[in-house]
Amino acid sequence: MDGEGARPFEPRITAFVCNWCTYTGADLAGTSRLQMAANVRIIRLPCTGRIDPMFIVKAFERGADGVIVSGCHPADCHYNAGNYHARRRFAIFRELVDFLGIDPGRLTFSWVSASEGAKWRDVVNETVDRVRRLGPFTAYRELVTDPPVTRVIGEEVPA
Amino acid sequence: MARIGVFVCHCGENIGRTVDCARVAEALRDLPGVVHSVDYKYMCSDPGQQMVKQAIAEKGLTGVVVAACSPHMHEKTFRRAASGAGLNPFLCEMANIREHCSWIHEDREMATAKAIDIARTLVEKVKRNRPLKTIQIPVTRRALVIGGGIAGIQAALDIADGGREVVLVEKEPSIGGHMSQLSETFPTLDCSQCILTPRMVEVYQHPRIRLYAYSEVESVQGYIGNFRVTIRRKARSVDEDKCNGCGACTQACPNRKVPSEFECGLGKRPAIYVPFPQAVPNLPTIDRSRCLLFLNRAKGRPDTCKKCAEACSKGAIDFDQQDRLVTEEVGAIVVATGYQVYSIGKETGRDDLHGYGEYGYGTLPDVIDGLQFERLASASGPTAGRILRPSDGKEPKRVVFLQCIGSRDPAKGMEYCSKICCMYVAKHTMLYKHKVHDGQATVFYMDIRAAGKGYDEFTRRAIEEEGARYIRGRVSRIWRDGEVLKVQGFDTLSGRPILMDADLVVLATAVRPQPGIEALAQKLNVSYDRHGFINEAHPKLRPVETSTAGVFVAGACQAPRDIPDSVAMASATASKVLGLFASEMLEREPTVAVVNDALCAGCFHCERVCPYGAVEHREVRNRAGQVVRVVAYVNPGVCQGCGTCQATCPSKSVELQGFTDDQVYQQIQALGL
Amino acid sequence: MRELRDLARRLLEEGSVQTVLGWEEGPRGARPVFVRRPEEAERLIFDPRCVHNLAAYLSPRRPHLKGLGRIAICVKPCDAKAVAGLIRETQVARDQVVLIGLRCGGVLPDPEGRETLSGETVADRCRGCPDREPRLADHVVGTAAEGFPGPSRRQQKVEELLALSPDDRWRFWQQELARCVRCHACRQVCPLCFCEQCIADKTRPRWVESSAHGRGNLAWHISRAMHLAGRCVDCGECERVCPGGIPLGLLTRRVAKTVGERFGWRPSDDPAVPSPVGTWRPEDPQEFIL
Repeated sequence: MDGEGARPFEPRITAFVCNWCTYTGADLAGTSRLQMAANVRIIRLPCTGRIDPMFIVKAFERGADGVIVSGCHPADCHYNAGNYHARRRFAIFRELVDFLGIDPGRLTFSWVSASEGAKWRDVVNETVDRVRRLGPFTAYRELVTDPPVTRVIGEEVPA
Repeated sequence: MARIGVFVCHCGENIGRTVDCARVAEALRDLPGVVHSVDYKYMCSDPGQQMVKQAIAEKGLTGVVVAACSPHMHEKTFRRAASGAGLNPFLCEMANIREHCSWIHEDREMATAKAIDIARTLVEKVKRNRPLKTIQIPVTRRALVIGGGIAGIQAALDIADGGREVVLVEKEPSIGGHMSQLSETFPTLDCSQCILTPRMVEVYQHPRIRLYAYSEVESVQGYIGNFRVTIRRKARSVDEDKCNGCGACTQACPNRKVPSEFECGLGKRPAIYVPFPQAVPNLPTIDRSRCLLFLNRAKGRPDTCKKCAEACSKGAIDFDQQDRLVTEEVGAIVVATGYQVYSIGKETGRDDLHGYGEYGYGTLPDVIDGLQFERLASASGPTAGRILRPSDGKEPKRVVFLQCIGSRDPAKGMEYCSKICCMYVAKHTMLYKHKVHDGQATVFYMDIRAAGKGYDEFTRRAIEEEGARYIRGRVSRIWRDGEVLKVQGFDTLSGRPILMDADLVVLATAVRPQPGIEALAQKLNVSYDRHGFINEAHPKLRPVETSTAGVFVAGACQAPRDIPDSVAMASATASKVLGLFASEMLEREPTVAVVNDALCAGCFHCERVCPYGAVEHREVRNRAGQVVRVVAYVNPGVCQGCGTCQATCPSKSVELQGFTDDQVYQQIQALGL
Repeated sequence: MRELRDLARRLLEEGSVQTVLGWEEGPRGARPVFVRRPEEAERLIFDPRCVHNLAAYLSPRRPHLKGLGRIAICVKPCDAKAVAGLIRETQVARDQVVLIGLRCGGVLPDPEGRETLSGETVADRCRGCPDREPRLADHVVGTAAEGFPGPSRRQQKVEELLALSPDDRWRFWQQELARCVRCHACRQVCPLCFCEQCIADKTRPRWVESSAHGRGNLAWHISRAMHLAGRCVDCGECERVCPGGIPLGLLTRRVAKTVGERFGWRPSDDPAVPSPVGTWRPEDPQEFIL
């Protein structure tokens, strides 16, 4: 798969999580030494309210097979209401991309509090298993058939 | 060009056991922009931090990534180290390869690959980090305390004694709160008023406390260090500058049959009244809903009764006084609005509170609540301290106390424990025994929760020395049979039903926040739970802070609290307030949103989603001074940095510093195939 | 028509407005017109070919109305919802424009249309449209008319697509979006696309790749549909102007269905009705969240 020969498919999952609940919950999972699948890469944001649907689109473009968005439970948001706004935003986004043919199984939305290390492990493992069954998201990656652009002029690394 | 330094920590064996740290350092060395990449046993140790500082100095690093533990653990440490070496602290990021990697994986290959990925995302992020400056906000060094009960009094006195001005707002005509209604206090049985009233007078006389009694908070604007509070001073119909507190008016009032709030309805007061003799301020107030003159005015009839005004030698009665709005500038707010007790009758407007009709509350005059019992036991109360039952004024020989009425009862009341009832019921049995030597107190309880210094000893004393009979169980029904009350219940220890006679029944009703707390919390933008109790910022580590910076919470408006708890919380808020006021300027993390004026289209979606009301409208003018556009402006003093505005902005014209789109984009890119 | 022309003439004569924005007869059917002099009021027409949503001109980001003084604008009931959106999002002040509301019994799909209006020929978006009478208006003209019953074919198509597997939907959309040349006509014609700089034109970072390939096209249409969530008034202009004939209305309808079912929101001509994005309720459904 992906030209890597006979190696089994390992899903690549990008997780966008809030700093105060899920990131801390994932810290707790670590402190508690809860073993889980190693397929998830976390990007830390202050709040689910900060998580833009375009992050998810970009993650798929860059080869993610699945995406997790996770934050504080309702009424628990460090910023009072960011998660409520995110909940509406992702309810819309999820049904939109499902309509466009992206299997909603590739998207996980969860509330994981700072004390729910075990829940974070379960969310990770369940997402990895689910995406593993769906297989690599090659359809998205193959949307561009042109030779890949290696470097965009003007997008030099800034000093 | 970026010059990034990467520092990979082994954390002893914690990371090194599962992650090949040397390989992580090596892999990152090849990334464009990385000029320095090393691994070390303990990066957080002094030599480890020295390595960071030295590399910044020698290699001229423009950014630092420390791949180690969670940023919640050591971000401050390494940002301080970076700062020490002359690098802006916000150019230092942490890659969490311990909690999020080495501790949760066993496969060394996979863990190492993941650690490289994690560190790489942070390298790409830090390349886009911009140096940020902590935000300085001026602080108005005066405090507002809302609520003049014991918590508010304590907070006000502590802050004022610490040298800062305090504005104390109390909605009732006098400060003192519920504590002024209590007869004695547990577990020492010292007289409540004797210890409280000196503090009330101290508040009144304190040169740095401005007291607004009979006043309420109308609106709150602004943010930490800079609140602007509008206070409604309700019309007392008495000119406080003229009144000398002689009380002639209250004597002259012909309507003397108004149930007294202070006496919990067990006593009467005139329409113009001072709630209790030691009231502070000692000023009468006309209850316009009971005063004959105002009742006549409401019906469009001429003023007839002016007896109080005629009795006043100072001409202080002012029937035409209006509510006044005053504005106060403060830098911090303490919420100490206290509690009310659960009404056993069905509450209007609350479908979830069904009440306890089976106990006949409201219909059986000899079924009273704990606060009413306090008034019966109080020497200053309606019975001058004699325990006499309300129906016929006889001394009850058998008193039954029921605990947990409305508490720990998710089906009919609140699921929480009201905390103070076990103790005050034990106190009531003793007060009763001391006054009615041949009386028998019986208590129905679910559990005895007497955790506190001297508390268990106190309840044991009630049971073992003062002869209170404690029955573990619930009462199912109370009804009247001639002159006695029949109490039917169940003893869950012996497993037997019980039917007993009582002359008086006292219900230990649940503690609830004051009515109107939700509206106040919304004005202050602090969160509250579904019962209306104000939420603390962190249940363990920030117990007196709220979700809004600069607003603190003390006493029973946060959860059921007894007096020592309330006082301790109040002093804690005072120390927080005084700490905040220690300097003229306040430092804030610069993780705030900034609007790009040139691109903002002024649709104000950001304003709608901002949980803090931090978004303002700003006029952009041309050279002639005409307004050409109105754009959003994020007040950095109010913004807390959630970034909801940026995710909502269709054109991304508002950016959260430290988490810009460019930074996140590069992180996502770094994870690409 | 007489009523509309007389009103326009009167408004221009008394000087309460300097420009009336409406439709006229052009060489290829109905087209927008800016009437500046009272005698030109005779050019105004209103018939089922007047499909354009003129509210798009009101956005302050568009140059057309600069320097034309106070504006009166002709709005069908659906156009009025777009004006309400612009007022809600502080792009237009209510007292800044005069709204001439037109009673509407549906329009044709095309300004060139020669057909008589019937259940067969009517624009799909007008099927099931409940609005005959403009409410957000300073003047209301025209004769009351019957509408056409729903559901629209678009609505039916959304349901059909939803019954397919994700893979089949993916194939459907890839075929459709392959025709997108990223001309951004859908954006230009949309009355509620008024950003100073569109996210599709931003380069740091570039969320939406600018080339007309599958990846950039998908990102663009996701982004556009998300931005219109709870804002789209279903005027159908994006789909009408798309040179590739991409059924863009299906995307906005899908989002509208979500917003309607979940948050109880319909496009409204009342500027005071809050947008569903920007508000929330604690009890919003969250069955999709673990």
